[in-house]
Amino acid sequence: MTEVFVVEDSDEDVEAIERAIGRSHPDVTVEFFRSGSEVLPRLTAPGAALPHMVLLDLNMPGESGLDVIRNLRSRPGLARLILVVFTSSEDQAEADACYAAGADSYIYKPLNFALFQSVLSQTLDYWRSRTAPRTP
Amino acid sequence: MTDGGWAGTLHGLWRSVAGIGARDELADLVLPPLCTLPGVIAAWGLRYGVDRRVSAYRWAGVPLVGPLRPLACSLAAAPPTSTAPPATSSLSPTSPTAGPSPTPTSPTAGPSPTSPTTGPSPTPTSPTDPAFHRPAPPGVPAVVDVTGPGALTEAGVVAAVVLHLDVAGEWPGTFIALVDATADTAFVGESLTQVADVTAEVLRRLAARRVEQQQHTRDALLAEASLQMDAVLDSTQTMHRVPRMAVPAIAEGCLVFVCEDGDPELRSAVHVDMRRLSALLNDPAAATRLAALAKAAVAGEILLDEHDAAVLDSRSVDLQVLRARGRVIGVLIFLFDRDPNHIPPSSFLRDIASRAALAIDNGTLYEQRRHDVMTMQQHLLPTRLPVVPGLQMAASYTVGDRVLEVGGDFYDVVSRDDGTTAALIGDVCGRGVDAAALTGMARHTLAALVAERVTPARAMSRLNSRLRLDGSWRFVTAGAAMFRPVTPISPSAPGSPGSPASPGSPGSPASPGSPTSPGSPTSPGSSTSPGSPASPGARGSQDFVVEWLSAGHPAPVVLQAGRPARRGRGGGVPLGVLPRPRFGRSRLTLSPGDTLIIFTDGLTESRDERDRMFEDDAMWTALNRLREADAPVETLVNELSTAAVKFGGTKADDIAVLAIRVEGSPHD
Repeated sequence: MTEVFVVEDSDEDVEAIERAIGRSHPDVTVEFFRSGSEVLPRLTAPGAALPHMVLLDLNMPGESGLDVIRNLRSRPGLARLILVVFTSSEDQAEADACYAAGADSYIYKPLNFALFQSVLSQTLDYWRSRTAPRTP
Repeated sequence: MTDGGWAGTLHGLWRSVAGIGARDELADLVLPPLCTLPGVIAAWGLRYGVDRRVSAYRWAGVPLVGPLRPLACSLAAAPPTSTAPPATSSLSPTSPTAGPSPTPTSPTAGPSPTSPTTGPSPTPTSPTDPAFHRPAPPGVPAVVDVTGPGALTEAGVVAAVVLHLDVAGEWPGTFIALVDATADTAFVGESLTQVADVTAEVLRRLAARRVEQQQHTRDALLAEASLQMDAVLDSTQTMHRVPRMAVPAIAEGCLVFVCEDGDPELRSAVHVDMRRLSALLNDPAAATRLAALAKAAVAGEILLDEHDAAVLDSRSVDLQVLRARGRVIGVLIFLFDRDPNHIPPSSFLRDIASRAALAIDNGTLYEQRRHDVMTMQQHLLPTRLPVVPGLQMAASYTVGDRVLEVGGDFYDVVSRDDGTTAALIGDVCGRGVDAAALTGMARHTLAALVAERVTPARAMSRLNSRLRLDGSWRFVTAGAAMFRPVTPISPSAPGSPGSPASPGSPGSPASPGSPTSPGSPTSPGSSTSPGSPASPGARGSQDFVVEWLSAGHPAPVVLQAGRPARRGRGGGVPLGVLPRPRFGRSRLTLSPGDTLIIFTDGLTESRDERDRMFEDDAMWTALNRLREADAPVETLVNELSTAAVKFGGTKADDIAVLAIRVEGSPHD
């Protein structure tokens, strides 16, 4: 079962992400965190069960999405964790900084819900196909 | 079997059809009821996917796991022992258009959710499942004997009733009902056919819903892309926005090539997996091929062939020429990993490309126009102010509006060889090329005539006549301040009037003043003349008499030590309005340290959100603060302009400000 951690402080976006993934990927378990400081202990605790992917907002109070990426990528044990930035930011420099810090994807967060759902769905499909266990 | 018998069960299945939202939910709906048929021990379902492999195993009853999977495949492929009577109804699960080879629209291959009766299964392991090469035609149930030792025979299974399902545009599948010796295989076969009818209907509905959803998503993408691309006039930003909008909504990767001097250059690239993109662009073979594809495309040739997908590390590639206003301006290259049926049609990609091309071209044209405006505006203003002994001068020009029009404000300073310095300022009503042409004409007419010792009144009269003669509807407000030292100095003295500062000379500005870039009104461009070069005693502390002539221009401001800033007199009628111009005249004496500030109405009439004008109150606050701080003239013009722009926000007009200060310390 695929598990996704979502780090998002906006109530509206939390609701939209939950609805979108629930519709396109009912088999995916989604767990929400409101800030970087909430999700980090969950990911870095000894023996923690890791999700398949972490979906990150960039602009959050306290630790920013970029800080979270840097923090996670500084830990070798989390090297295979897929980090996807999901943001409405248009700043190319921010996108470059996220990649430099170790993000796997930097995805535009559309306004329209149908598009929002499609973008999330394609992102999940892509990373599931790239990291799906392959039997010999 | 339910109380209503098989007919009731079947009725329940049909009623559930509308509630199924995904193919993965189907097995839970249709397989368990089959197990309620007399003599049926298990019901299995196989779904086929890419390369004709079984992509999903489903079951009710005996779990379809381990060695039973190859067995299921062989049952599906086995020649029938007998053929069960086909369904008598016209409801065949095989669509009339269904062919032997599937052309699915939704290859939702992969594991499905678990349930008590259906379980997850790994992806298939056999290279090519024999089950696909089924001997029985779709929709016709076949009975296959199950013999020999094994778990199934131990469970009492003696035969399998097999039915293949084909629905146009969907991955095919196979139903297998394992029965014991008591089963009526004809009835089971007919029931399987009926269940297949239900399944086919669900698949058709899901396909229709999927197509509708895809269209809805594409419509939304077009709308949002247009919104995003039209929101900016910066071509670079647009080039980044296009692939960001496209990925991953319509493609896994998108590259934007835009022509620079005829050759396409990669300007932006986005991939859902940027590490793959980075590797791709660093791969010489891929980079070379991308460049070749783009170059050929802008030349009208499509080189794309079947090898390109592999070279570009993708499952498929699409290329769309960016064409705007009849010109090819670049190429969009889309990289796809997704199933072909999830790739948008070419017409949609063309539509995206044409909108992107127009947005990029608009941005490029805007930037060219902005550059032209900047160049023209620079020609309308003096590149430097003359150095006049005894006077310090600074000017600023702030473009307040963000529209791409040249403003009509102008100023100039003429230093005559008779020791008189003329500070000129004016404002042509309106903006744009016509206004700019008139602005240039007005400034040069006034400056040239005044330099030839023509009086400002006569110079303005000539300009008035010219405007009237040309029949221009535009009028010009103008002001001229003639500075004359109370005690004339020798023309041969160092730093004499009429000698502009040479570049690099002491006291000359390091760079010529220039108009501020449109859209950045908070940092006024300025030109300065900090007074006489280092020539002690050239003129010393000296009073100047100033004669002010106004043709409908805002009255100047005088700053003097020890007293609040005060307004001079304006008056007169703008040039071009009356056959005989009417002027306002005034005269004052400036002592060392005193400053005359002349400006256009963009300064005074800057309005805040409550419609108060800058000159009502805020201007005086700023002026008195600057006077008390003994601010240098360049600081004075810059801060005054900035304060007016901040006061007026985005509504600010162009602002020209020229300050002339008499050198020396104020008289005690």
